[in-house]
Amino acid sequence: MNITRSAYGFPLPLPIRLLRKNAGIFLLYVALMGGAWLFCWPFLWMLSTSLETFQEAMAPGLGIWPASWHWENYVETWRSTSFPRYFLNSFVVAGTVAVAVTVSAALAGYALVFLRFPGRRLAFLVALGAMMVPFEAVFIPNFVLIARLGWYNTFAALIVPWCANGFSIFLMRQAFLMIPADYYEAARLDGCGAVRFLFRVALPLVRPTLSVTAVLAFLGSYNALLWPLIVTADGSRRVVQVGLTVFTTESGVQLHLLMCAATIVMLPSVLLFLLAQRAVSETMLVSGVKG
Amino acid sequence: MIRYLCPALLGIAMLLGSAGCGKGHGTFLPVDEHTAVFWDRQDTQSASLMRELVQAFNTQSGRMPIRWEHAGGYTEIFRKVSAGIQAGLLPAMAVSYESMTSEYIAAGAAVPLERWIHDPEIGLSEKDLSDFFPAALQSNRYPAHGNRMYSFPLAKSVLVMYCNREIMRCAGVERPPETWKAFLEACRTVRRVTGKPAFATVPDCSTFSGMVFSMGGEVYDGQRLQYDGPESLAMLELLETMVRDNLLFMASPGTFDDNIALVQGDAAFVLRSSSSRAYLLRMAGEHGTELLDIAPIPQKDPNRPATVLFGPNVTIFAVPELQQAVAWCFTRWFTEPEQAARWAVATGYIPVRRSTLAHPLVREAWAQWPPNRVPYDCMSFARPEPNVDGWQQVRALVERALAEVMSGTRTARDAAEWLQQEGTRALERAHRAGVGNGI
Amino acid sequence: MTRETVRSTWSGRRQGDLFLAGMFLTPALLLLFLFTYYPMSVAVWMSLYGGRRGPGPWVGLDNYWEALTSPDFWMALRVTVYYVGGVVPASLVLGFLIAYGLHRIGPGRALLRTCFFIPYITSTVAAAMVWRALFNPRFGVANQLLLWVGLPAQRWLLESRGVLHLLSGGWIPEDWGPSLALCCVILFDIWHLSGFMVVVFLAALQALPRELEEAARLDGAGSMTLAVRIVLPAVRPTLLFLAVTGVCKTLQAFNSIYTLTQGSAVLPETQSLIYYAYAQFYEFGYWGYGSAVSVMLTVLIIGLTFLQFRVLDEGRRAS
Repeated sequence: MNITRSAYGFPLPLPIRLLRKNAGIFLLYVALMGGAWLFCWPFLWMLSTSLETFQEAMAPGLGIWPASWHWENYVETWRSTSFPRYFLNSFVVAGTVAVAVTVSAALAGYALVFLRFPGRRLAFLVALGAMMVPFEAVFIPNFVLIARLGWYNTFAALIVPWCANGFSIFLMRQAFLMIPADYYEAARLDGCGAVRFLFRVALPLVRPTLSVTAVLAFLGSYNALLWPLIVTADGSRRVVQVGLTVFTTESGVQLHLLMCAATIVMLPSVLLFLLAQRAVSETMLVSGVKG
Repeated sequence: MIRYLCPALLGIAMLLGSAGCGKGHGTFLPVDEHTAVFWDRQDTQSASLMRELVQAFNTQSGRMPIRWEHAGGYTEIFRKVSAGIQAGLLPAMAVSYESMTSEYIAAGAAVPLERWIHDPEIGLSEKDLSDFFPAALQSNRYPAHGNRMYSFPLAKSVLVMYCNREIMRCAGVERPPETWKAFLEACRTVRRVTGKPAFATVPDCSTFSGMVFSMGGEVYDGQRLQYDGPESLAMLELLETMVRDNLLFMASPGTFDDNIALVQGDAAFVLRSSSSRAYLLRMAGEHGTELLDIAPIPQKDPNRPATVLFGPNVTIFAVPELQQAVAWCFTRWFTEPEQAARWAVATGYIPVRRSTLAHPLVREAWAQWPPNRVPYDCMSFARPEPNVDGWQQVRALVERALAEVMSGTRTARDAAEWLQQEGTRALERAHRAGVGNGI
Repeated sequence: MTRETVRSTWSGRRQGDLFLAGMFLTPALLLLFLFTYYPMSVAVWMSLYGGRRGPGPWVGLDNYWEALTSPDFWMALRVTVYYVGGVVPASLVLGFLIAYGLHRIGPGRALLRTCFFIPYITSTVAAAMVWRALFNPRFGVANQLLLWVGLPAQRWLLESRGVLHLLSGGWIPEDWGPSLALCCVILFDIWHLSGFMVVVFLAALQALPRELEEAARLDGAGSMTLAVRIVLPAVRPTLLFLAVTGVCKTLQAFNSIYTLTQGSAVLPETQSLIYYAYAQFYEFGYWGYGSAVSVMLTVLIIGLTFLQFRVLDEGRRAS
């Protein structure tokens, strides 16, 4: 479609030209913003409910503007259970998991790409296969193992089983595949060992993917509910997701407080993502592009 | 080389696995060696009172302290204990329903309590035992396991009917209906006047059991399920009729939308546990005591009433004796009138000992709001649900059948037959599977 | 130079790298073995026994046979197929379209992308609770919207009748196709998963060489043709990655179904295979049977992944 000329062939004045050119983009913006609004809408509803009173929260309504503003709900929520302790536990666990996963996945990915050894293909299939085992199906044997090791109700139980996963290895492997083979060959010819190559060349090149692996691992651990529930016996090791269960009573749900709690719990994830924005975009690029 | 390594590893794993999943009967390691841990399910409101009580107990007991832990809801506690059984690590005691305790017994984790009840030092005397409501004690006996008491009641609740007085007044219904016929009539009247459904309910097995009991029937006679009996059929047909005439609002199972509907004026009657009282009053706000009313559930024959008894029990686990003793002492102390009265008044649960009814705190609560008395009166004719292996599955089937009837996708007769058939199959399957022998 | 040629140059160094590779791979593989493969083999072992709450008598393959002849199992399988078939393609399409739109606009891209990604990073449990409230038959927004438009209120998460039946006014039988309740769950997961797809697709699109699109545009290709004919094939590897990951995640999705349907077995029309395995295993105590179903589910996952590689991979082996 030619925007500079009308259908009859004579040139169009500038304003109309601009409008035609931009109409498509404008509509696109509208569609995208509408979509983003739809996507975020449940969270806005969550936020507005968290500020209402008990009765108002339960009342039928379409709107996301709070009927009244009760900031003290947050105070009440914060006080009703030991959130500071739970947050500390969650951050310690999720942080450690993030670091451990990144290290194990980076090393494994590097080995799968650059090192030559018999059974390399099999090792990759093993890593891939681990993605396909459903967690709920196997957590009792995992728990028995943990108990046998004497790790019940310890940080070790919350951290160690999560320190490696197939998805992260897959992701890192894709990233390392993007590094041209010539680099490695040239380095080896120069006498640079595999380890030095890893630290001097490969890791810096895949830094965005490292960040993303860390973020995803952090989120995976932070958002987990079932495993921390089973593996902790008391409040000293409880994590934040388990703390949410306190707002559901035997006769009803304190919806407004529950929404407060859900908002509070959600904040660190959002902040983390905002901080890691650039890294996320670059890495998804690297992992997704090549097969 | 790797080719040979993998099957070898797999073989080792399977060997480990076969050694891994067995656990002998006998004692379990306690979760904490120095305190007797109690896994409980209390929400934010009653948790502080519970903590106070635990503190009081610890101060005066002179034994190993009890440590109270909020361990999630009943489902979560069940999952945790099940996992703990596998790993050989358990707390000293935990709240449970009878069906959960059955599972614990099967795994060898629950201890029969006769030994503590009849202990000369810390047990209960004959006089004390007769002070308990018989139904409360009876529900904790497990016929499939020698009729021994494997759990002990902490506090109980009964199925009652909550009414919205305002709507009743509007519709000209003077008193909460006493019979099912009157109930149906009242619902019709309410619907005619307000145009909204009169009865809000969730598909729930215990509620249905209560309804069947109130018709004079049974759900399980010890040998056979009775869901195809006349009483069960009558109740299903009542539900069917109500659905057809738009008198019924079905709330999602696991939610409390029926309570919400009652308080917001969208329903006139709700069948719920007496422990919902506190929540309902809080939701209704300042005028709660004028808005709400509590009544026994409608009966077939008001002179021979019946309703269902529920409420949490505690199971004491097979941990070292010292911890068991402390757990027992706490349980016994908790059910004594002084503590039980405080707990009952604050939470809406009913104490398990009759002498508590004479306690001044309880009397005061009755005086403050007369409907408070109704659940206590119901205790004398409340009956527990069956304690048989595989009951969990039957519960799920009952809920499914109820949901289908309430949504109009199945007729009552059909549902009754289906339920009877599937329920019997489920019980047979459980019986056939028996108990795990390695655990 | 490709990997294959590198290999031929370095054949002499195979043994040398083995030690290093062993060192690098051991942490990850050891953990995977201990916490994924070992429990899976225990599950396989358990599936050969009967009993409740523990290993009972040896029953061999009876549990598998029982599953294959159980109508509940087939219903769960059907539900799983609808579920995966509903969530994954829709998320892929939606993800691609949104990503393409974001690719075309300039400013505001980062903010919008965050908006689409947020559902993915929040905990499923909290998000599902919000959606449950939205689908509440009495005061939920979904019914408010319907009433506003003049349509009858629905039971949403409690509706076991098929969505096709409802949409066609009763013409199509009730049990054809997914139930309305399942559709609500599917909608939730599309919302949840699309964000992830958007981010990955967007990154891939931004990596495409400019010339590709410009050449096509100069040839007179309209937007839609451009997107479908030129761009989509160019990001095929990403598509494979996302499809495989999407299917794996969806087949194992537990939290969303559990929280949305409140964990009750009331509606078998929303019970996916993993939930069925979970209920049999943990709620009713049939460990052997539950394990057998889990094993069958794992086999299904492996099979589907293999199939996807066959169909979507361009033929370049992943090595």
